[in-house]
Amino acid sequence: MAINQVPDHVPPEMVGDFSLFTSPGMSPTPNGDPHAAVACVHAGAPIFYSPCNTRPGRGTWVITRAADQRRVLQDTETFSSHRSTFASALGENWPMIPLELDPPAHRVFRSLLNPLLSPKRVTELEPTIRERAITLIEGIAASGTSCDVMKDFAFPFAVNIFLRFLGLPEHRLHTFVGWARDLLHGDDVRRPAAARTIVAFIDELAAMRRNRPVDDFMSFIVQAQVEGRRLTDEEVRGMGVLLFVAGLDTVATAIGFDLAYLARNIKDQDLLRSEPDRIVLAAEELLRAYPSVQMVRVAIKDIDFEGAPIRKGDYVSCAAMIANRDPAEFESPNTVDLSREANRHASFGYGPHRCLGSHLARREIVIGLEEWLARIPAFRIKEGTAPVAYGGHVFGIENLILDWS
Amino acid sequence: MRIIVHKAKCQGHAQCLARAPGVFKLDDEGYILPGDIEVAEGEQRLASQGARCCPERALEVDATPAARIEPDVDQSRVRRA
Repeated sequence: MAINQVPDHVPPEMVGDFSLFTSPGMSPTPNGDPHAAVACVHAGAPIFYSPCNTRPGRGTWVITRAADQRRVLQDTETFSSHRSTFASALGENWPMIPLELDPPAHRVFRSLLNPLLSPKRVTELEPTIRERAITLIEGIAASGTSCDVMKDFAFPFAVNIFLRFLGLPEHRLHTFVGWARDLLHGDDVRRPAAARTIVAFIDELAAMRRNRPVDDFMSFIVQAQVEGRRLTDEEVRGMGVLLFVAGLDTVATAIGFDLAYLARNIKDQDLLRSEPDRIVLAAEELLRAYPSVQMVRVAIKDIDFEGAPIRKGDYVSCAAMIANRDPAEFESPNTVDLSREANRHASFGYGPHRCLGSHLARREIVIGLEEWLARIPAFRIKEGTAPVAYGGHVFGIENLILDWS
Repeated sequence: MRIIVHKAKCQGHAQCLARAPGVFKLDDEGYILPGDIEVAEGEQRLASQGARCCPERALEVDATPAARIEPDVDQSRVRRA
């Protein structure tokens, strides 16, 4: 990873040594807790400059306070989301839509997609989600007293729901998960290769649905109208790629971290099993404790922000895992309190780009926990195994082997 | 009790609805309907919790409407109750 020079306008005393990519606890660690490792930033300055805080090794400002992150993410006239993160892996420049468009252009596309994933629509999807969870968990319960949660439950559950939503063939689940893994967690060779594969796939799917529309997301997109016209090929691609990438491993990761927490905290596990009505609120607290993404913006004008001389072109990182441990926002932020009320966590972001899939994600997490706890007796991390957790661009967990023998 | 709705701040998190479905109403896209909300006697606790859940600070609890001083008059704000 290239180490960049600190820009001249950054005062030396504002340079911090924390990085979501290179700090202790961020690389894959057996029994690691990258979220706890991140919380240490609150002992320091509320805003600092991290010289190496993106995957390609660029520096970013790091906004640690939840209130300041809210300001950044709500102020789209100063902090733009147009970064072409996906296209840049291909040496191209086109936005994922609506994420990498700024208002007012953003609004048109967001309005098109909002009804597809609204709270009302998600309620209609609930029976399908629950049926999928029950089928998987009953299969796991019938086949033994141990399983690899990510491989056997979290991914097949969350990715299947998402593929159905997109109208993609379920039998290719492992192929799609592999692409997403290479894209999000792969090296400099695998990442652009995965990006190319995904773009080709989305383009091909769009062409197929244009010729013969069916009842699915891509057919909806290719037939949709904005401002009295059809979408361009680039817009269709931008939306297809974003939905594909955004939905493939986030929910599975959340379920993994949640079940790892419950496996290590038997009292909380027992409480939720005996009083399942608590799961909705508990899921919010687990979302607060274990978010997986950071929002990055680029300044499009100079601004002095809470004492930081942010200049046009600077990157500004608003990591949910940092905001969610802000002691000014949350009482005892490093304690997981499953009955925490008024939990204004940042796990789905703030501002106009608030996660479009958040309502679906919440339902999947709650249903996943409900059905798991209803069917699997007291479970622990299997003796002799260690889940591997990591930080970076997207936080994650692997090798989560649970045992209930 | 009244909930002051800062409609422009709403980003559709729907946490108010999750906490107090009888109090907060959303449009088809999932954003809060415009207009401040007069809360019935029996729903005040849930309404207050719902407002405090809003990640964008779009919902403001006004416990004493009579004593409140309007900082600026917003013509688009319509009382629903």
